[in-house]
Amino acid sequence: MFSVTLKNQIFKSMCAFSAVSVLLIVLGMLITLVVESFPALRHFGFLNFLTTADWNYSKEIFGALRPLTGTVISSIIALIAAVPVAVGTAIFLTELCPDKLRRPIGTAVELLAAIPSIIYGMWGLLVFAPFMEKYVEPVVSASLGNLPIIGNFFQANTQGGVGLLTASLVLAIMIIPFIASISRDAFNQVPDMLKESAYGLGATRWETLYQVVIPYSRNAMAGGIIIAMGRALGETMAVAYVIGNRHAPLDSIFSPYSTITSVMANEFNEAANLQMSSLFALALILFLANFLAIIAANRFLPAKK
Amino acid sequence: MSYLKRRKIINILALTISTLCAALGLILLFIILFDVLKEGMESLSFSIFTKDPAPPGREGGLRCAFLGQGLITLIAALVGVPIGVLGGTFLAEYGKDMKLTKFLGRLSDMAMSVPSIVIGAFVYAVLVLPLGGFNGWAGAAALAIIILPIIVRTTADMMSLVPAALREAAFALGASYHKVIVSVVWRSAMSGILTGILLALARVAGETAPLLFTSFNSNHFQLNLNQAVPSLTVSIYQYAASPYESWVKLAWAAAFVITVLVLFLNILGRVVVRLRTKN
Amino acid sequence: MAEQKSPPEDILNVNNLSFYYGKNLALNQVTLPIRKNRITSLIGPSGCGKTTLLRCFNRMHDLYPNNRYEGEILMNSHNILEKNVDIIALRSSLGMVFQKPTPFPMSVFDNIAYGLKLKNIRNQNTLKEKVEKALRQAALWDEVKDRLKENATGLSGGQQQRLSIARTLAVEPMVMLFDECTSALDPISTQKIEDLIVDLKEEMTIVAVTHNMQQAARISDYTALMYIGKLVEYDETDNIFTRPKNKMTEEYVSGRFG
Repeated sequence: MFSVTLKNQIFKSMCAFSAVSVLLIVLGMLITLVVESFPALRHFGFLNFLTTADWNYSKEIFGALRPLTGTVISSIIALIAAVPVAVGTAIFLTELCPDKLRRPIGTAVELLAAIPSIIYGMWGLLVFAPFMEKYVEPVVSASLGNLPIIGNFFQANTQGGVGLLTASLVLAIMIIPFIASISRDAFNQVPDMLKESAYGLGATRWETLYQVVIPYSRNAMAGGIIIAMGRALGETMAVAYVIGNRHAPLDSIFSPYSTITSVMANEFNEAANLQMSSLFALALILFLANFLAIIAANRFLPAKK
Repeated sequence: MSYLKRRKIINILALTISTLCAALGLILLFIILFDVLKEGMESLSFSIFTKDPAPPGREGGLRCAFLGQGLITLIAALVGVPIGVLGGTFLAEYGKDMKLTKFLGRLSDMAMSVPSIVIGAFVYAVLVLPLGGFNGWAGAAALAIIILPIIVRTTADMMSLVPAALREAAFALGASYHKVIVSVVWRSAMSGILTGILLALARVAGETAPLLFTSFNSNHFQLNLNQAVPSLTVSIYQYAASPYESWVKLAWAAAFVITVLVLFLNILGRVVVRLRTKN
Repeated sequence: MAEQKSPPEDILNVNNLSFYYGKNLALNQVTLPIRKNRITSLIGPSGCGKTTLLRCFNRMHDLYPNNRYEGEILMNSHNILEKNVDIIALRSSLGMVFQKPTPFPMSVFDNIAYGLKLKNIRNQNTLKEKVEKALRQAALWDEVKDRLKENATGLSGGQQQRLSIARTLAVEPMVMLFDECTSALDPISTQKIEDLIVDLKEEMTIVAVTHNMQQAARISDYTALMYIGKLVEYDETDNIFTRPKNKMTEEYVSGRFG
């Protein structure tokens, strides 16, 4: 039989090793991605890889510029579309919603945040993209499309509704429940007394919200929005279907384009050599960008115990 | 118009806009849910659970995909859950006051948010290339890597909620630290840890991207983990974009099943937590 | 020794006021006057309804659903509990200070100017004047005059509470409602705020909820004792503490229950 102390030692070592395994995996991931992307980065040069727009199999020239801009633009559009809707939802849930509906709707929003992204992607492809093509694109290109200079950027394309804007909006819908939940939790943290102080001075509900509640929850909301952006940046399945994965200059907001994740999902299994290494380099960029986002978010979020 | 009146009008306008935003968001989300449920119910038949994939037009099912996905998730859980719980235990107990612990906690937060497709690429490099092809082990490893930090984090959080007095009471009876952890701390944090596990499983149940490059998919009934293993989510990915109506229907049906499963796991997790707070 | 001069005029008159939280009766047929330029204390054991009564004066209860008033509170012979009363305007004429300091997440200056801006006072010089006046009234000016641009959450607890008072004073309310406003403070800060409240009655009327009987005795002119939603006794403070008419009042002020 082992002595009690020895048993404790064994248990402790197992725990310690398990905890360190997270570090080993993250380190392993970083090293693997660097090693695998090394051939491409050496061949093209890191900066050159970042700034090259071409993604050309026959010429064997691969650059990250388009997937990277696709990733960034789609995430930014998604945030611009999702944040007001999500914050509006949070305001509704904390301030306006009848008491009886507050819990059910709040819980439903949280549950929707858990729905797998493939479901959003599939719905985007089979329901939302046709809707965009039939109703949104004609209207937008008939109105904004006639503007001088920037009009071209709003011209419809005939790709079945698949394109950058469609992908961005599917992403937006996907991150709404997450941002709404985080904002609602942040609003609920505001002490009643603080709100009542504003009401006591004669502030309206909106003034209390806009001038006291939202500033008070600013940090938690900023942290949540950055995490949501991280999700949008790294999202694959909601985007892969509806972005079109086209390697061409972006001529209209409706045009098919590519993101880092869409390129990876579509090409990884058929790639080899330099293309494969370039895909790993894209993965590395995504990995690093995500770490930066989390570090930024942690600056805003209150330290966890 | 008096200033007070203007303020009141702004108030009503702004709150109306907020409500409309909320309505828009909720309606969009419920439309998605409704579409999945409606299309799914229409396409769902019992044969999806009893038959294997068939060529377009013939009646097929996704029996092998359910089993394959289940098997891979099970193995991922068998690996990820114990390591995650032990790791979380280290963070909350033995390593409570170490600098390393704070760093590991932060790192788990970061690991939790690594895009799952990047995890897929990583596992491809270490488990698919060296082994010469897609295999079930790689898929299980990718899912285990996803659930590990989630479980580490929730376990640590839940265990640190256990009052110190409880530990001290057990120590006072002469129990050793590992006994205190196993019989007192784990037991009181049990429902929280269980919820963390359920939510982690809900998260990977619908994961697609990390399987694409690892266990991939197979249309045959085959559960040999040394080869590509049928996957429900990858099947959805392939079928939904196919031009064949029968395959698209199968994708809706599978999406329905996955959605219901994920919602069920999430609700179950909530119920577990609520049961504890009631007791 | 009976004083000859007649009691000062009433600024608020509570008549047969009952209040319900949903179905729970929290105030039961309360009737009492609030005298102008005097300090009225509401005392009683916790749960007696004193804070509930205070929050009726500025209709704070309207923020939450299912609350119901019965009876009336007259202000210039208007019932402020009526449905068509402009609550926003009402609240800006009655200031309220809470148990804990409530600095808004903005600078010291903006905190004090908040209520003024709601009244559409935009002129920078007027704002500066009024902010300084309010801070001086709250005995805070000397401590914060060089920190006006700093975030108010950086002040000490006592300073934050005086800031909350100054913010309320800035809009020059007719009535100030204090809800156990010293309960979270140390004795020295409490002393400062008590002095401040006594000074304020020159310019306005004060209603103060307190669970501290000594405080009520020290500062107030009139005291109302409440118990389970009912008014037990209302009288001049001296009478309540030295010659209570009601047996229960006598027991409460001598510390035998509560």
